[in-house]
Amino acid sequence: MMASLLPAFEWVQQTYLGETIRHSAALIALLEIVHLIGLALLIGTILMVDLSLLGLGFRGQPATRVARELKPFTLLGLTIMLASGPLILCSEAVRCYKTPAFWVKMALLAIAIAFHFTIHRRVTLAEHPHARLVAVLSLALWFGVALAGKGIAIFQPA
Amino acid sequence: MFLLSICQWVDSTRLSAVIRQSNWLFSTLDTIHTLGIVLVAGTIMLMDLRLLGLGLRSVPVTQVVARIVPATWAGFLLMFLSGSLLFLSEAVKMYYSPAFRIKVLLLALAGLNALIFHLTIYRDVANWDPASAPPARAQLAGLLSLVFWIAIIAAGRAIAYAPGYDLG
Repeated sequence: MMASLLPAFEWVQQTYLGETIRHSAALIALLEIVHLIGLALLIGTILMVDLSLLGLGFRGQPATRVARELKPFTLLGLTIMLASGPLILCSEAVRCYKTPAFWVKMALLAIAIAFHFTIHRRVTLAEHPHARLVAVLSLALWFGVALAGKGIAIFQPA
Repeated sequence: MFLLSICQWVDSTRLSAVIRQSNWLFSTLDTIHTLGIVLVAGTIMLMDLRLLGLGLRSVPVTQVVARIVPATWAGFLLMFLSGSLLFLSEAVKMYYSPAFRIKVLLLALAGLNALIFHLTIYRDVANWDPASAPPARAQLAGLLSLVFWIAIIAAGRAIAYAPGYDLG
């Protein structure tokens, strides 16, 4: 199934957009900077909400309130990442295709997003007996996404 | 140049060579450095959002400081230790990198901004602790901090991309 995707990755890379970004170190650097700022916003806000779910948050502040107040910024961080990430991908699609870390990241990202908007959302809307477990899973998933992202840069395809 | 001879000496040490010649060691330090800066910038952004009156508005400022500053320091320690070791591995290259110099300058400015904030307006935090929108000077400190940390991330990335001075 994965082999059938290679032509799509090759095509994306040779489009005008892919070629333009690939040949501009300044553009790639700028996109990576934006991507990292989005990540900082996403990780910072999710960390605070998950610490609150673990009972390590602000004194006298329920996790539900912390989550409600930080939600717009988590979504902003995620939006920044989802806008910049695919543009970076366009510039080196074939290399990403051949790098296992990229596929690990995409799988973790899909799980993290699905988890965030279903199970995680539920435990931040009202008190829940499994809130601590959900917080730990949420942190593990998002740090996993971040680590796998770094792995794309480190592990070059064989 | 005095600084240059120090950097040349650093590059000649065994520690520098070990890090420079080990792919996995360099990559591990690089990963810790990135995670550290994400933790520092992420927690500082929360602080800045509170100071700007944009986020966590119902939480008193002193509580945000008490909860977040330890996490920021933890991230800073990771970032500083790994960053120092990365510097040791290619000191001469950093000497010739304008982006590296700008980054060090920005780190100093971010520290100075935080120091001034704590020594001035934060001293009288009791008067505005629960206010959803802090006074203008606290907002300014939050805004400057946000700008400095975004610039630090940018300068850090630029070290990897921007060409250095002519190495002759």
